[in-house]
Amino acid sequence: MTATAVESRSRTGSGSASRSRRRGVSPLILAFVLVPFVIEAIWVFWPALQGFWLALTSWDGLSAPRFIGFGNFGDMVSDPIFRTALKNTAIWLVLFGGLSVIGGFGMALLLQRERRGVGIYRAALFTPVVFSLVVTALIWRVFYQPDGLVDTVFRTVGLGNFVRPWLADPDTALYAVIVPALWRQIGYVMVLYLAGLKAVDPALYEAAKVDGASAWQRTRYVTIPQLKGVNSVVLSVIVIDSLRSFDIVWSMTKGGPYHSSELLSTYMYSTAFQSTQLGYASALAVVIFVLALAVILGYLIRAFREES
Amino acid sequence: MTGLAADRRTFLKGLGLLGAATLVPGCATSTKSPGSGSAATGELSLQSNLSSEQAKAAMEKLVAAYNKTGGSQVKLNTVAAEIFRTQLPTYLTSANPPDVYTWYAGSVADSYAKKDLLLDVTSVWDSMGNYSKAMQTLSTSSAGQKIFVPTSYYWWGMFYRKSNFAKWGVTPPKTWDEFVAVCKKIQGKGIPPIGIGLGDTPWVASAWFDYLNIRINGAPFHRQLLAGEGDFTDPKVKAVFTKWREVLPYFDPKGKSFPFQEATSALLAGKTGMFLIGTFFADSAPKDALDDIDFFQFPIIDPAVPVAEEAPTDGYFASKKVKDPEGTKKFLAWLATPEAQNIYVQSSSGTAIPANPDGKSADTALVKKGKAMIEGAAEITQFFNRDSSDALQPTADAALTKFLDKPDQIDQILKDWQAAAQKVFKA
Repeated sequence: MTATAVESRSRTGSGSASRSRRRGVSPLILAFVLVPFVIEAIWVFWPALQGFWLALTSWDGLSAPRFIGFGNFGDMVSDPIFRTALKNTAIWLVLFGGLSVIGGFGMALLLQRERRGVGIYRAALFTPVVFSLVVTALIWRVFYQPDGLVDTVFRTVGLGNFVRPWLADPDTALYAVIVPALWRQIGYVMVLYLAGLKAVDPALYEAAKVDGASAWQRTRYVTIPQLKGVNSVVLSVIVIDSLRSFDIVWSMTKGGPYHSSELLSTYMYSTAFQSTQLGYASALAVVIFVLALAVILGYLIRAFREES
Repeated sequence: MTGLAADRRTFLKGLGLLGAATLVPGCATSTKSPGSGSAATGELSLQSNLSSEQAKAAMEKLVAAYNKTGGSQVKLNTVAAEIFRTQLPTYLTSANPPDVYTWYAGSVADSYAKKDLLLDVTSVWDSMGNYSKAMQTLSTSSAGQKIFVPTSYYWWGMFYRKSNFAKWGVTPPKTWDEFVAVCKKIQGKGIPPIGIGLGDTPWVASAWFDYLNIRINGAPFHRQLLAGEGDFTDPKVKAVFTKWREVLPYFDPKGKSFPFQEATSALLAGKTGMFLIGTFFADSAPKDALDDIDFFQFPIIDPAVPVAEEAPTDGYFASKKVKDPEGTKKFLAWLATPEAQNIYVQSSSGTAIPANPDGKSADTALVKKGKAMIEGAAEITQFFNRDSSDALQPTADAALTKFLDKPDQIDQILKDWQAAAQKVFKA
C-alpha cells in the first residue's frame, strides 16, 4: 500500500525532497564524504591515535614499545630542557604573536591609503612571506655571523659593546631567531589587516569626522571595533603559527646553544630523531596538542560567549 | 538517463579503485614474501649515505666495477647522510629492507646486532685473513659474531699550516706542556691558537672530550663510560675538564658561531693556528692549500697511559632479512678485497686509508704519516657517537658547548649530562 503510494508519487514527480527521503543520501555524495574520510582516517587520525598510545610507552624505534603508563609525563616534570622549551614557547607566543599583530596592524594603517607608490611598499613588506623560512634562516644567519651585517651596523653606530655571537650566545639566540620570524610574519598579518580595512564602510569615517572625532579617536572607536572579524582570523593564524614554529629555529640554531633556544617543537623533533626516544617525543607531541587545543578552545568559548 | 547512471557507476568504481590504490604503498612492504623480490632477478640493493659529490661518484664506480664481475647485480641508492641516519632503524626493522648498508664499525653497529637485525658475516671474514686484530674486534658483535666488513678508515689529528708554524717560529708539540707553550706563543702573535667550529656542527667538540679522556683515563675507561657502565659525574671525568680548562683561553671565540667547514677556512686563511679535526675536513679545502697542511698527534698528557688514537672505521653491514644471503656475502667479500678498496680510495677525496692491509692508500706524506700514527697506536677508538650511540651524541653536544661557554658550572653540567645520558640508556 505504502509502496504503491510512494511509487505513484515518485512517478508523478512530486519533488526531489520526498525521493531523497526514501532512498537516503545519494551514493555519490556518500562516496565524496566517505572516501576522503577513510584516507584521512588512515593517514591522519590513526597515526594521531598511535601517537597518544606511544606517549605511554618507552620506545627506541627498534625494539617493541614498552608500556610505562604516564611515566613520560612524570619525567617531563623533572626535565630542565622541557621547562626551558615550555618557557621559550610561551615567550615565542607572546613576542612573535604580539609583535607581529602590532607590526602588521601598524603597517596596514600606514599603507592603507591609496597614494602613488604605495603598492611598492606593500609588495616590499609582503615579499618575505614568499620565501621559504629555511631560505630566510640562511640569509639571516649570514647577517648574524661574526663580523656580519648586524655586527657591522652596531659598530658603525658606535654600539660596538653590543657585538656578540648572536646565535651562539644563550642569552640572545632565541631573540635573534624571533627577528627573522617577525620579519616574515608582519607582511602576512599586514595583508590580512589591509583586507579588513578595505571592508570598513567609509561613511562611518565621514560621520565620525562630522562629529568632530580626531584621527586617534577615529582609529580607536571606528577602525578597531570594525576589525573584530579580522582579529579572530589573525589570532588563530598567530597561535597556530607560533605553536608549529619549527623550521626557522631548526635551521638557525637547532635549539642550541645547549638548548637555550629550544621550543617544544624542536625538542620533540630532536628527542624523536636524534636521541631516538620516540615514546618521550610522542608525550611531548601530546603536550603541544593539548596546549594548542587549550588556547584555541579558550578563545572560541570566549568568542561564543561574547556573541550570545 | 542510463548513460548517466552508467557513468556514475564507472566514476564510483574509479573512485573506489583510487582509494584502494592509495592503500597499496602502506601494504607493499608487508605483502612481499621473502624470496619473491630481487632474489629472482639477482639484484642487491645497496643503501649508501655517502652523498657528497666525490664520495658518491666513487661509490658509483665501485658498484659498476662489481656489476661487471658477473655476480648479483647491485643497485646503488644514495641517501643524504642526515636522512640516512634517522631512517636506518626504519630500514632495518621494515619487512622488506634494503640488503647492504654503508655504516660505521664498533658499538654503533653492535647496537643493531643486539636487536638481531644484522646478517652474520663470519663466513665472509674467513676469506679476509690478513685484516688486523683491531679491525676484527671492531667488526665483532658483543655476541661474538662478525657483523661488519670494514673497508676504510681515517684519522683525527691537530692540523696546522706548515708555512704559518714556520712564520710564527713554533714546532709541533709532543707533550701537553709543549702544547700550552705553543698556544701561548701563537696567541702572542695576535692569532687565536685553537680553531673550532661548533655553529652547526657542535659534535666537533666531542673530539676534545674523546682525546682528553683517552689521554688521561685511557681508552678502556672511555669505552666503558660511553657504554653506560660509568658515570659522567665520576671525578675521573671531571679531571678531563680540569685539563681542558687550561687551554680554554686559547680557543677561537668566533668558533662558536660557525660550522667546521668555516673553521677549516679560518685555519687555511691563517686566522687560527691549529684545528683538531678528522681528515674529512679536506673535502671542503682547496687542493692547493692542502700541500701546506700537516698535523701532529694529540699531545701526550700522562706517559703511563697507553697511547690511543681516534680512527673511525667505515664499511658495510647487511640486513638479517636479505633475500639472497649468498649473493650478499659474495658482494661483501668483494668489498673487502684490496682491488675494491683501491677503486674507492682513488676515486674519493684521497685521505681515506683502505682497511685491507694490502690496499693502496694515497701516496702523500700526510697520508703516510697518518697511517703510521694509527698503526703505532696501542688502542684505537672510533669517535664519541660511534663508541656510544647516535642517541648519546646530542647529550654530549649540549654538555660540551655549555662547558666551553660556562666552565665555572662544570659540576652542574656533568650532573645534567649524566641525567640526560641515563635517559638515553634507559630508552
